[in-house]
Amino acid sequence: MTEYQTLIVERRGAVGWLINNRPEALNAMNNAMRDEFALAWKELDDDPDVRVIVHTGNGRAFQTGADVSELASDGIGMERYRESVENFDMHFTSWHQKVWKPVICAVNGICAGGAFHFVADADIVIAASDAQFMDPHVSVGQVVAVEAVALLRKMPVEAVMRMALVGRYERMSAQRAYQLGMVSQIVDPPENLRDAAQALAEKIAKNSPAAMAATKRALWGALEMGLTDACKAGAMELVSMWGHPDQLEGPASFAEKREPVWVAPVAADGLSA
Amino acid sequence: MGADYKTLHVESRGHVGWLIFDRPAKANAMDATMLDELEAAWKQLDADPHVRVIVNTGNGTAFQTGLDVAQLSREPDALREQSRRTRRAELRLTAWHNRVWKPVIAAVNGVCAGGGLHFVADADIVICSTAATFLDPHVSIGQVTAFEAIGLVRKSPMEPITRMALLGRHERLSAERAFELGICSEVVEPEQLLDAAQALADKIAKNSPAAMAATKRALWGALETGLTEASKSGAMEMVTVWGHPDQIEGPAAFAERRDPQWKEVG
Repeated sequence: MTEYQTLIVERRGAVGWLINNRPEALNAMNNAMRDEFALAWKELDDDPDVRVIVHTGNGRAFQTGADVSELASDGIGMERYRESVENFDMHFTSWHQKVWKPVICAVNGICAGGAFHFVADADIVIAASDAQFMDPHVSVGQVVAVEAVALLRKMPVEAVMRMALVGRYERMSAQRAYQLGMVSQIVDPPENLRDAAQALAEKIAKNSPAAMAATKRALWGALEMGLTDACKAGAMELVSMWGHPDQLEGPASFAEKREPVWVAPVAADGLSA
Repeated sequence: MGADYKTLHVESRGHVGWLIFDRPAKANAMDATMLDELEAAWKQLDADPHVRVIVNTGNGTAFQTGLDVAQLSREPDALREQSRRTRRAELRLTAWHNRVWKPVIAAVNGVCAGGGLHFVADADIVICSTAATFLDPHVSIGQVTAFEAIGLVRKSPMEPITRMALLGRHERLSAERAFELGICSEVVEPEQLLDAAQALADKIAKNSPAAMAATKRALWGALETGLTEASKSGAMEMVTVWGHPDQIEGPAAFAERRDPQWKEVG
């Protein structure tokens, strides 16, 4: 198991926790953190005892994008990332890392700029009642692209455009994010966020891991193409489960009024479990 | 500011360009003249380096009510030209049609009907007066709704758009409901609409014009393709501003607690 400097990775029952842990820097992503995200998602995805992953932050911010002070001081700046951006070879979110376990993003405070990568790429997003959302990229001469590209497929577009173009001069409240369907649950008081995330994750962990993975592939895949093509691809995911032991275990446990015993999850690369 | 318009009012206030529909006696419906003037006005505002943000609104009680079919029927040449453009999806009515990469705010001051929905679908940001209402009467007069609704169903929950398209003139969507659905992001009292639009535009005008143009290209481009493809194109837009002077100026101004001096675009 990897030792992390910028993240905390832990397990609570069947729930894996990935916690941003640079609170003094509002959890901004420096190079070390960027590398550790790639490892942490894979570690949790490869662990057959983990069925659901919760991602949150320590301190008063959830995440605030790239670490601008590192970018401004190391003499390399964004150029360090040119090759990986130009090749779209990114590895810091669960979507980048092809994690097919359910991922809950629990937004605990300020969510700014590049933090939207984690909101956009999660399956489920919940927020503390004092969470705030803003995208300051264009206010410092940067372009908003990949995170908003994903976000605008998942919620009303106007709100995404407004955040992208107004920049640091406006913030969106957790309440408005809930109205718009960007988050599905607001937790009040804010200190109950982690308990609420754990409770939600435990419900999800009761479902068939194999069925959830195929469902995730079908629904995320649907963002790649037109409706008819997405249904055809979804049909293949659906059929892929036919004959799987979970399809016998599900109805059997229901009839016998007991908890189902599912086949343990398999990582996307097929190497574990 | 240059061209004289008969059906539009075009002006700038600070860095904000205003494009105002100005046929209030006809609920701002588009006649042949307005169709021509719209293309010219978007291009004029887009080419003006002092204009950083554009607000689109209407004079009178209506925002925009689509084609003035009665007037167009008396001008067969104009009608023919419009039909040709429609068939080829080559309309030049809106900012998106005219490839305007400056931020565009639609400030909906009253009824927005039928073809008027083009201007809501194709704006980046939409704010409304409480007097604004939305309806799409096309099918009530035997016409098909296409482009406006196609744009809107990619930007908002779909059911309200198909409902509007199929209910025709027999129902209206309120500003309040448009806000709930995320079709607009702000609703203000009618007498405050123009000030609210100017204030919002002034905030946006503080951001880097080059970064905003690339952001618009990335986000509008994302409506064209699949997620991975759009992310790749978006990443290329991101990189286009690396090395641009605004990227040095932005953090420097922030650190020195002053307003940034962005490079002009246009």
